[in-house]
Amino acid sequence: MTDVIVVGAGPAGAAAALMAARDGLEVVLLERGPFPGSKNAYGGVVYGRVLDDVLPRWWEEVPVQRWVTRRSTMVLTDTQALTVDFRTTAWGEAPYNGCTTFRADFDGWLAGKAVEAGAHLVVNTVATGLIVEGNRVVGVRTDRQDGDLRAPLVIAADGVNSFLAKEAGLLPRTQAKHLTLGVKEVLSLPREVIDERFGVRGDEGVDVELLGCTRGIPGGGFVYTNRDSLSVGVVVSLEHLAASKVRPEELIADLKAHPAIAPWVEGAELKEYTAHLIPEGGYDHLTPLSTAGMLVTGDAAGLCLAAGLWLEGVNFAIGSGLAAGRTARRIIETGDAKPYRAALKDSFVLKDHKRLRGAPRLVLSERVQQRYPGLVADLVEGLFTVGNPTAKPGALRLLRGAAKNNGVKLRHLVADGLAGGRVFK
Amino acid sequence: MADLVVVLARCTDLRVEVDPLTGAISRDPRAAAFSASDAAAVEHGLRLGSAWGARTLVLTAGGPECDARLREVLSLGAEVRRVPVRGSYVEELATDERALAKALVAAIGGRPDLVVCADRSSDRGTGALPAFVAHELGVVQAPGLVSLELVGDDLMGERRLDYGRRERMRIPLPAVCSVEGAGVRLRRASLPASLAAASAVVPVAEVPLPGPAVRVLGARASRPRPRHLPAPTGSSRERLLALTGALLSHEPPTVVGPVDAPEAADALLDFLARNGYLSEARTGWALS
Ligand SMILES: Cc1cc2nc3c(=O)[nH]c(=O)nc-3n(C[C@H](O)[C@H](O)[C@H](O)COP(=O)(O)OP(=O)(O)OC[C@H]3O[C@@H](n4cnc5c(N)ncnc54)[C@H](O)[C@@H]3O)c2cc1C
Repeated sequence: MTDVIVVGAGPAGAAAALMAARDGLEVVLLERGPFPGSKNAYGGVVYGRVLDDVLPRWWEEVPVQRWVTRRSTMVLTDTQALTVDFRTTAWGEAPYNGCTTFRADFDGWLAGKAVEAGAHLVVNTVATGLIVEGNRVVGVRTDRQDGDLRAPLVIAADGVNSFLAKEAGLLPRTQAKHLTLGVKEVLSLPREVIDERFGVRGDEGVDVELLGCTRGIPGGGFVYTNRDSLSVGVVVSLEHLAASKVRPEELIADLKAHPAIAPWVEGAELKEYTAHLIPEGGYDHLTPLSTAGMLVTGDAAGLCLAAGLWLEGVNFAIGSGLAAGRTARRIIETGDAKPYRAALKDSFVLKDHKRLRGAPRLVLSERVQQRYPGLVADLVEGLFTVGNPTAKPGALRLLRGAAKNNGVKLRHLVADGLAGGRVFK
Repeated sequence: MADLVVVLARCTDLRVEVDPLTGAISRDPRAAAFSASDAAAVEHGLRLGSAWGARTLVLTAGGPECDARLREVLSLGAEVRRVPVRGSYVEELATDERALAKALVAAIGGRPDLVVCADRSSDRGTGALPAFVAHELGVVQAPGLVSLELVGDDLMGERRLDYGRRERMRIPLPAVCSVEGAGVRLRRASLPASLAAASAVVPVAEVPLPGPAVRVLGARASRPRPRHLPAPTGSSRERLLALTGALLSHEPPTVVGPVDAPEAADALLDFLARNGYLSEARTGWALS
């Protein structure tokens, strides 16, 4: 007799299965790929502290590529690049901060923990639909013979564009507006070359977030260091990408040719190209988190946090999965999903989303995307250009000039500054 | 009639990567899978086992990475067993094929009526294992089959011959048959069976392990020595002319036709004979 069916062995599903199985429930974890992580695409950095209570000393066994000890935010125009670069040794030792890891390794590891706890992982199996009786979800259909599986609770962890959430009427059939498309190349380079180009040693790694590298299509880019490869990619608004008629791989090609990025990727060999959707609507566009008999977690619920400075989906998926697994028994007993929603509300998952609810609009706004990169780059270029015998211009004059050149009014700057202050306070 | 059908199936990463610079080989244990012919062997074994009402045992020589695939086979109703293989991939590839056959036969632990295996493995690739197994068991072998089925009480196999012809044969039992990855597709298990097998423990056979047939001192990328070419002679203009043949006289292209097929063939043969590609005798033979 199955108590909980978890659909999808990504981070959300594995975390949910782990907690429910630890609670003594009979858990079936369904995964469509041949092994967890085999079908999954993402950028590359996982923030593992969410596992502190669940898997003490997780950092000793997580399949890490590199520990991120250096984090840069880079603003690009076609010819300029301004980088704010931060590094700390603290992130290179326990309990660490973020690590680069491959999903095929990470998801398999986390799902392995669920299996160790007693969950039954069934791979190569697609949940093709819900079994609904009255208004209640009572199981799922799969693509296997005799494939109907019934349980008092279904946890949808099937990722962005969740077919289960759609079938339950929680998600509209199409919803491109709040989706971005992430595309990524993994480029192989010898480990020593990466160490040298990025100024790191041993298992230290770098996370570079980029703005202004997407031909004006709202979005951003990233470069992450793996052990002996780089992950280079862009994330762009799906609607605007379609309207622009630009192919996503052209954006990556642009990025790799940029004078600030080209020296990093020179001589690298393409190993892998992946593309995947990301739900970036934020708090105001979350999928309803439950319906009778079913909880929705991770990307399926739109819980990926994409707020300019942050692109965190895996830890939010894990956070929501843990909450679903922890509350599963109570929900089965009472038939009411309130404990799951309450647990999410009390955790960082909904707290961060709520606090940063204005971020997607601000970060993807036309000025932040298309005008401010040029403005700050021009301002800094002006500050550091030594034009003797002409005397140095004042900073305010430079700011005015840069704003004018980039079509920004000073009142816009003030308004966006205030809006940014409110969003990120 | 038969009591025991054994399938020997290799389970390995089908897309092993070899670093072109260092020669380092990387195998992804998660990608361990049956090749098309190994999967066909399992399917044939299952079909024949159920037709005879016999036990079907699927045996794999490999590491624990094979267990997930073997559990899938378990959920299809076969028994499974794994012969543990240790050592590096290169050592594994260097394993003595005959010793491996011995170990596999020992792991069967009985006398099978039929052994089915792939015609060749995706990576080892010698195709010799079925013959060694047949030798160990002292039974006949029918290698390289594209079909294997029961017709009445007879086990019938079919294999390719040259010029697109096929050979059908009646195979007496006991026998070892190797099959191509053709004609059948490995079935999928039902959900209840998959669930039942999901956490099953795969039995490991305790048999003496074969050692490597050759001692591997190292594996590295093939780097043939560069060929020494004499420095070019003559001026750059002369070299260019020699390379392009620009000032040499050429026979202009011949336009034949429109003509019918025999005339076109004659024209071609004439051309070949004229240019020394066909001898008179051969032309005569070709035209006769
Ligand atoms: C390009 C890109 C870069 C990103 N970068 C980062 C980053 O650096 N850091 C970060 O934290 N996040 C990042 N994210 C976001 C992150 O990948 C997601 O938020 C996270 O993976 C969500 O986890 P999940 O478990 O909800 O869904 P998923 O990871 O999508 O997992 C869903 C699982 O369900 C399975 N599945 C789906 N449908 C079915 C079905 N019907 N039946 C059975 N199984 C099914 C899938 O095979 C998959 O295993 C990035 C995303 C992209 C696309």
